[in-house]
Amino acid sequence: MTEFWVSLLVTVIKVFVVLGVFLGVGSYLTWFERKFAGHMQARLGPKLVGPFGLLQPLADGLKLLTKESIVPASADKVVYYLAVILALVPALMLFAVIPFGPSFKLFGVEVKPIVADVNIAVLLVFAFGSLLVYGTIFSGWASNSKYAFLGSLRKAAVIIGYEVVLGFSVLGVILLAGTMSTTGIVQAQIEKGVWFIVYQPVAFVLYLFCMLAEAGRVPFDIQEAEAELVTGYNVEYGGIRFGVFPLAEWYLNVMALSALAVVLFLGGWSGPRIFGPLSPYLWFLIKMFGLVFFVLWLHWTLPRFQAKDITEIGWKIMLPLAALNVVITAFVYYFV
Amino acid sequence: MPWMNKVSADRIKQEFKDVEVEHTEHTTNLHVKKEKLLEFLSFLKNKEGYKHFIDFFCMDFPDRKERFQGVYILYNPDENERVIVKTWAQDGKLPSVQNLWACAKWAEREAYDMFGVEFEGHENLRRMFLWEGYPYFPLRKDFPLRGIPEVELPSLTELMHGRTDPPSHDYELLHTRIATLEDLERTEKARLQKKAQLVLNWGPLHPGTHGTIWFLFDLDGENVVQCDVILGQLHRGMEKIAENLHYFQFLPYTDRMDYISAICNELAYVSAVEKLLGVDVPEKARYIRTMFAELQRINSHLLWLGTGALDLGALTVFLYAFREREKIMDIIEGNAGYRLTSAFLRIGGVHYDLAEGTLDVVKAFIKDFPQRLKEYHQLLTRNRIWLRRTKDVGVITKEDVFNYGLTGPVARGSGVPYDIRKLEPYAAYDEVEFDVPVGEVGDVYDRYLVRMEEMVQSLRIVEQCVSKLEKLPKSAPYINREHPAVMAPKEEVFKSLESMVKNFRIVVHGEKAPKGEVYVSGENPRGELGFYIYSTGDSKPYRLRIRSGALYNLSIFPKLIEGRTIADAIALLGSLDPVVGETDR
Repeated sequence: MTEFWVSLLVTVIKVFVVLGVFLGVGSYLTWFERKFAGHMQARLGPKLVGPFGLLQPLADGLKLLTKESIVPASADKVVYYLAVILALVPALMLFAVIPFGPSFKLFGVEVKPIVADVNIAVLLVFAFGSLLVYGTIFSGWASNSKYAFLGSLRKAAVIIGYEVVLGFSVLGVILLAGTMSTTGIVQAQIEKGVWFIVYQPVAFVLYLFCMLAEAGRVPFDIQEAEAELVTGYNVEYGGIRFGVFPLAEWYLNVMALSALAVVLFLGGWSGPRIFGPLSPYLWFLIKMFGLVFFVLWLHWTLPRFQAKDITEIGWKIMLPLAALNVVITAFVYYFV
Repeated sequence: MPWMNKVSADRIKQEFKDVEVEHTEHTTNLHVKKEKLLEFLSFLKNKEGYKHFIDFFCMDFPDRKERFQGVYILYNPDENERVIVKTWAQDGKLPSVQNLWACAKWAEREAYDMFGVEFEGHENLRRMFLWEGYPYFPLRKDFPLRGIPEVELPSLTELMHGRTDPPSHDYELLHTRIATLEDLERTEKARLQKKAQLVLNWGPLHPGTHGTIWFLFDLDGENVVQCDVILGQLHRGMEKIAENLHYFQFLPYTDRMDYISAICNELAYVSAVEKLLGVDVPEKARYIRTMFAELQRINSHLLWLGTGALDLGALTVFLYAFREREKIMDIIEGNAGYRLTSAFLRIGGVHYDLAEGTLDVVKAFIKDFPQRLKEYHQLLTRNRIWLRRTKDVGVITKEDVFNYGLTGPVARGSGVPYDIRKLEPYAAYDEVEFDVPVGEVGDVYDRYLVRMEEMVQSLRIVEQCVSKLEKLPKSAPYINREHPAVMAPKEEVFKSLESMVKNFRIVVHGEKAPKGEVYVSGENPRGELGFYIYSTGDSKPYRLRIRSGALYNLSIFPKLIEGRTIADAIALLGSLDPVVGETDR
């Protein structure tokens, strides 16, 4: 019985740590992105609030929290608020299945740095990823605005297309690892002594594309398309309710999917032990933020696609490629 | 640009006996009766090659029985000749020429809006700039300049605290009526009959429209079934203002039309007035004008590049383009004193001599800019996504260029080498070398390439101007001091009596222009900006018509967007690059 209570306590602590760290890091990514974009664009970025503008996210948050709450008169109130929750929760839930390091013993209790080490972890990721689209659709529908409506429909079309590609691109890795558990996949890579990106380069590239599409980053940010749809699906939201959407989509989602990419393709926490006991965690974070950095870099460089082009590329090029990749992997794995 | 030659005029005279040919000092006018108008214009278009529609507008002569005169300006691209066709309305009616030239639809709407002239056979004759239900016609001579005081429009303070005595502000209590929400709804309904699923409004305030244009898209999913554009949110009645100002006074107003290329506007305007008044411009002034006009063109194209790329999601190009713009702005500010609406040119010259060090700064810019252009090319030109968004989008055929009166980079993108700087050189354009880039397909990508190459050519012109200006002595005159219509420079006014008297006379009475008419246009970054001035010998123009390149270029938008998606609309609009200050005037 005590074992149950201990593991519950450990889980609760882990939940709070993950929530605290990633919500905090997520909001500080806004600072990083603004600074980064600023320097890319020959300007300085935030610099006035605190040293190097470090307090900017706090100021932004305060501003958003103290804004007057304006709800459109003809909005569907329940769905309108539900959309905010549905945008944030699945993005956070994704972190539940991500292992940040190897298990260790603390006061005689074995602790795994993962909130839920389940054997269907990858499936869960897809489930939460699909749930995410409801936030967008609900917000577009409930706002009763044409811009929001068009934006959310675009996003829905993209997510449906790219969920499928995402699934297929990950299948190869699952075949190689022989498990759907995220810790299992990392262990498999460590045991084989090789990262799966070596066996699955095509899948990795496809995964990156899907990540951009799911997170609504340039060049796939059609649901925002500020020039055409103002900002698309979240145009009728104000204050912190408005702030939640980019936080969930642009930051939490990107981080979670990057972390997953690290787990699936880049060997998770494996790496030379050059940072002492914290080495696995640091390696994980370095790889993860390397990917996040890559996403931001693309965001501030490329123009955006058209909606019909994105779905076309997804269904006509990426899906056959991903399927082919799975078939070849299966053949090679079975016969070699 | 020469006007219709004698041989063709005689040939026309034989074909149409009752057409009067009038050779004025600066133009060739053909007077035709209203009944014969359509037949005559289609003859000019199909047989004589006058197929490029330049402009249509009306003039009001309250003393005449017919009162309204319609004026068509046409251009023959093969012979490089222009002609003006004039016809008198009967009972306030003229035939519509929309079947000959599609853009006439918009020009006729404008004439209807401003003069109340009705057009028989127009598909949807609505007000162009003002709203449905507005009862007056502002460009008629009997419409007072100050408007008609009919409604009380309280200020916000008055609404909140009531009217005080004395009032919180000291302007008139009564004003001309402004549009109400019902008026706007009526306007919207009158423009577009919904055929498909939903009507999406863009504007009047929308980030994609680069100003206050109001687009109506009838959407089927994301595909545009039909589209119309409601203009007029920035309509200030420039033409009416011009009729009530001395020639020199109107100059700053031209800055506020296409506010991104203020000096180009001024150049077109002063060229027209100088031709009318017969003012010679000193060599130095001509080169200064050319140099600044070309810098302004680069400036304007940079804004187009930045905002166009921003619309398609390339966020960084925008700030890169603005970084270069800032340098040009500084050069202009250092010489004119203003960044945007510079009012730098004067009739007969320029306001100031070149500021010290200007040429060095410009030379540094010339040296630096090609590398920057390379950066832009690297970011966009071979970018797959950029190609996908711009290639084969909004293809304009050569026929459409003529039918819609397209000019500037939009015409050149379709392979029509229509460039006023070459065809009718003004300022110092006949003394500098440059090429006119043209496109092949006429899609958004071609227009993009044409504008990018134009920046290179502009830089070439600037370079030649700099080397010429360096050779000219510092004491060379920058304004024509001899001509009676040219105001003396400020520093002389305080020192010499003659200059002071001269300026006093011009400011108080204006300088009388000779009777006659003149049409002069300049090659602006947004197409041909033409000024038609009809003078009755007064110090103010009787009628000043502004031919806006941006307006005619925009007129093809509804046609191009039909059947395409809403995301293409943004790429297309960026490539047509309208500036609302000029379309609305």
